[in-house]
Amino acid sequence: MDGVLIPTLVSGLLLGSLYALMASGLSLVWSTLGVFNFAHGALMTLGAYVAWTVTEQLGLGVALGFVAGVGAAAIAGVLIELLLVRPFYESRNMMLITVMTTLAASTIIERGISMIWGPRLKQLPRVIDGQVSIFGAPVSSHEALIIVLAPAVLAGLWWYTGRTRSGRSLRAVGQNQDAAALIGIDVPRTFSLAFGLSAALAGLTGVLLGSIRFITPGLGADPLVNAMIVVIFGGLGSLGATAGAAYVIGLIEALLILWLGLYWTPSVLFVGLILVLIFRPNGLFGKAS
Amino acid sequence: MTRKQRLFALAGLVVLLLIPLVVQDSYTRHVFIIAFIYATVAVNWDLSLGIGGLFNFGHLAFFGIGVYTAAILTTALDFSPWIAIFAGGVTAALSALLIALPVARLKGIYVVLVTFAFGQLCMQIVLSQGDLTGGAEGLVRLPYLKIGDYSFIRDFKLGYYYLGLALLTVSVIVLLFVASSPFGRSLRAIRDNPEYATARGISVARQRVLVLVASAVFTGVIGGFYAIYLRVASPEVFGFSIGTLVLSMVLIGGAGSILGPVFAALALTFATEAMAGVRGLEEARFIVVAVAMVLVLRIAPSGAIDIFSRLINRSHKN
Repeated sequence: MDGVLIPTLVSGLLLGSLYALMASGLSLVWSTLGVFNFAHGALMTLGAYVAWTVTEQLGLGVALGFVAGVGAAAIAGVLIELLLVRPFYESRNMMLITVMTTLAASTIIERGISMIWGPRLKQLPRVIDGQVSIFGAPVSSHEALIIVLAPAVLAGLWWYTGRTRSGRSLRAVGQNQDAAALIGIDVPRTFSLAFGLSAALAGLTGVLLGSIRFITPGLGADPLVNAMIVVIFGGLGSLGATAGAAYVIGLIEALLILWLGLYWTPSVLFVGLILVLIFRPNGLFGKAS
Repeated sequence: MTRKQRLFALAGLVVLLLIPLVVQDSYTRHVFIIAFIYATVAVNWDLSLGIGGLFNFGHLAFFGIGVYTAAILTTALDFSPWIAIFAGGVTAALSALLIALPVARLKGIYVVLVTFAFGQLCMQIVLSQGDLTGGAEGLVRLPYLKIGDYSFIRDFKLGYYYLGLALLTVSVIVLLFVASSPFGRSLRAIRDNPEYATARGISVARQRVLVLVASAVFTGVIGGFYAIYLRVASPEVFGFSIGTLVLSMVLIGGAGSILGPVFAALALTFATEAMAGVRGLEEARFIVVAVAMVLVLRIAPSGAIDIFSRLINRSHKN
């Protein structure tokens, strides 16, 4: 058992890191605007494709590809907010309508991607080559980078939303839009900021994932569902609960894969989720509203 | 439903019954059959989403479960396709019961997330249990539907056309009865004012379970019909694309109106099939439908059909 346990924990840590990056973006938009962005997975895919084009087709190198991928996702995120979310602010069913419009956005982006880039599989080069060893378990440097980068990004996000002026405006708007507007916060600009930031996180996840998995137009679909399971478990309200749930789910998933195999893991995870929700309708860490 | 709407629906049904006399080629009839199938899925979705106000985004899972029930029963277990079609309704209703257990107590966005994740989970199960479901390739060569020696594929799919139309008609009639029954009124009460409905003694949790199960029955049956008609089952039925397409039918037709989604389904199926024939539009047609859905939400939240009826009413007054 010893020989397998450590690599399993490390792969759980890797999954948890990716889920945390994805889910924190979802949680950020939710807690600021009360919108759940179903295009989050598609934004991730877009980031990976743009990074691939810049790195491989234009030959400009991984670093520039990285920046371009994250930037493209952020721009697309702001566009989604302007075109598909902003017109519905005043609507009584804004939450439901934006679920539908962001679903439409995800179709538009996904189909657009397969029209532009075609169906051939693509893969990004790794940011760093080579292998490192974590507690005796061999891991590729790229995966180790993800494991280190995710907590750093989350910490940065935590610092940003807690300590900086514009970050705190996100939380102010999330808590009370009218009061935030009264003290001089530009509410619509803050919404765009939240969407852009969240989309940048999606793009970052896509670029990181694009060198581990093959890039297809459906790259973002599975991670989105897993991120959804994370936010159901952790609740959508706070960054800390979301990140915590991401690592818990990642570790549980890795252990389930070890014990039950890849095939049964999603089903068992989902049944577990249903059981949790029957007894705790606000999620495992969620507070009763 | 007003008298005028009832007459309009009846006229529509008569036209659809007569169409095979005029339309003799099997491709156009195929598009009609697909339209009947989508329309049945759309109206049943309208029951939970539009009338029940339940944020159910896993409706296509019930359809897919019907598809795979029929496919597995006929290929692996040699059941008669007739039994397989209706078995789809049973398994879909049972799965609706399973998903209703947590959904009954959840609020707002969490209902969306759980039902949506349920649909994706069904796809993952289908993909991973390849021995039974055929995995990504799906199941092919399901048996033909027959009565005695008469195969439904003969006479340019005449049998499939009328069976599809019959399933749609029965489903719509049942839904119209449900919508005007005390149960339907209690659903609208919950949708429009949950606190008041609860105060009047309506159990939100119980009605949610009932509406999910009720909306799953015909969806599963039509899924079984879809599999038997096309003679294949592929995991695509759980995917984003079909889901968004059917959702757009509900919204463009007008959520909560039952008949609206039927007309929207017919119109949109023909529109997307027409675009599928144009080179370069195979992928773009999904984008067009998605954009149309957003525009309808923006301009006419009660559905595009509603605009027409408002225009007609206005011209009557003048």
